[in-house]
Amino acid sequence: MTNMTTAENPRLEAQEVESRIITFIERELLSPGETVNRDDDLLSGDIFDSIGVLRLAAFVEEDFKLEMQPSDFVIENFQTVAVLAQYILRAGSSQ
Amino acid sequence: MKGSNDPPTLLHQMIDEAALSRPEAPAIRCDGETLSYKELSRQANGMAQVLIGAGLQRGDRVAVLLGKGLNVPVAFYGVLASGGVLVPIDPKSPVEQVVRILKATGATHLVSEPGKRKVVRNALAACPEVAHVVGLEAGDDTSFQCIPWQTVSEEANDRPPAVSMGDLDPSYILHTSGSTGTPKLILHTHRSAMSFVEWAAEEYSLTHADQLSNHSSHHTCFATFDYYAAARAGATTVILTPAVLMMPGSLSALLEQEQISVWYSVPTALVQLSLRGDLEARDLSSIRWVLFAGETFPEKHLLRIMKQLPDARFSHVYGSTETNVCAYFHLPRSTDVAGPLPIGRACSNSSIQVVDDELQPVIDGEVGELLVRGTTVMSGYWDEPERNSRVLVRRPSAGDLEEIFFRTGDRVRTLDNGNLTFVARADLQVKVRGYRVELEEVENALLSLDPVDEAAAFAVPDGEGSSAIRAAVVVGTESTSIQQDILPRLRNILPLHSLPTEITVLNTLPRTPTGKVDRNALRAQAHGTE
Repeated sequence: MTNMTTAENPRLEAQEVESRIITFIERELLSPGETVNRDDDLLSGDIFDSIGVLRLAAFVEEDFKLEMQPSDFVIENFQTVAVLAQYILRAGSSQ
Repeated sequence: MKGSNDPPTLLHQMIDEAALSRPEAPAIRCDGETLSYKELSRQANGMAQVLIGAGLQRGDRVAVLLGKGLNVPVAFYGVLASGGVLVPIDPKSPVEQVVRILKATGATHLVSEPGKRKVVRNALAACPEVAHVVGLEAGDDTSFQCIPWQTVSEEANDRPPAVSMGDLDPSYILHTSGSTGTPKLILHTHRSAMSFVEWAAEEYSLTHADQLSNHSSHHTCFATFDYYAAARAGATTVILTPAVLMMPGSLSALLEQEQISVWYSVPTALVQLSLRGDLEARDLSSIRWVLFAGETFPEKHLLRIMKQLPDARFSHVYGSTETNVCAYFHLPRSTDVAGPLPIGRACSNSSIQVVDDELQPVIDGEVGELLVRGTTVMSGYWDEPERNSRVLVRRPSAGDLEEIFFRTGDRVRTLDNGNLTFVARADLQVKVRGYRVELEEVENALLSLDPVDEAAAFAVPDGEGSSAIRAAVVVGTESTSIQQDILPRLRNILPLHSLPTEITVLNTLPRTPTGKVDRNALRAQAHGTE
């Protein structure tokens, strides 16, 4: 897997972040052929379970070099790929 | 005849009674919406009327396939009030599992919702016996009678339909994961459920001022407490949605906002809450009781959450879907529990024995199998006389009478202070985040796939107090890919919690001298590579 980090590429665009999240979800958490869109509800329970969310969080921390705080594990940050990307960009610029 | 001052003896009578005494009190809350006891009772009576109108007879099985939400209690109490036997199905079940449960229980009616249309249509294509579905609109794709939720609301009624039934009538059939073949179907009566509910309401001093969280899926025995014990006290059940349960920070905010006073779950959920729930930022002093069951609670996590929730008492409860809760241990407030947490003592409505392989009592301190007798024990496994004769054993009582005990399959020991402590499962059943998984069934699922020649499933600690399933396989062709050839097909057969988190391809499986797969060797290998 290519591992671009925010350090190498400080001005990450939202689109790029979203595409990396989607690639991870489709490759690691979904069955082959299944896809996810930027506005799909990730927390409906139909896409993945709580273990899947933890794997997604671990990916976010590693791939974007972030350290998530307990207060970050809220619906507002994870509901869709689009809001997760916004969270990553916010958290990345404040750390 | 039941007099107006007698306590309820049937599960649905509890909500009718609460609807009379405190009609506007909230019975159920979910995602900001509320059902009062009056409205729950009216809707459930409407559901009962609709089912009877669709030909339901006393004792017929009614399956319920619903995601979490306010429809769940309406369906549950409606089925019970109709005289039907409730069969809640895990909403995450693949189609094959839904079909197995419908067929095995001989269900004639199904309650569902538009979001489940596809799985219902696919399942019912294989189950023509299910002729009536409440909760779907009719369409070109349906060959069964559809009765929309709107009709249930139109039939809402203060009074239940007149159905003659008694407390020894079957109330519900709960299923275990049973990932291949037929899942275990556990039949309870109104009395066995009510006996547990009454014990729980008294032991935890539940009142109408309580808010019980509903963490577990409504098809599990955990939900028996969340829903029915709350109703017994006229309390509120707050259903926690999947989104909240996946986000510990949102969960703790909701617990604070809803003033949750009683929590019941597997330890894993509490570990997540403790680690990632931002508890320092919340006021959770409303929580009076935290009940947990199903797995070992790792001491470091338990001690931490006890410190994080200093106003709560913690209660380790023991039981199974077959027995309901039959033993319990309230942790002392001072967190100096040394060694493994005991199962504790038998509930007042249960009695227990520890026996050897010949079912003769062992002396205190020796390890033996736990037998349970009591009013909360199931009637038996549905349509499985052979299994029932193995696990429901007769033991001599007074005179020439015999009593029936349930063999739990759990190996336990009686401590010096009279408390029981758990030693091991007698068989290969393991728990994954509260779900029962039979290792042999995971193996059977793997072996059903063409490329797999040999398979072994084993459990390893997941590091957070629960177990993770892993598997090793021997495949026929070298080009077989786990990711492409095995996992996608396994996902169609096994429920999510039974899926191995890792599958290793080996040239041969380690075997014991007698030729059995050596799971201990596999576990040791897995341990060595980490």
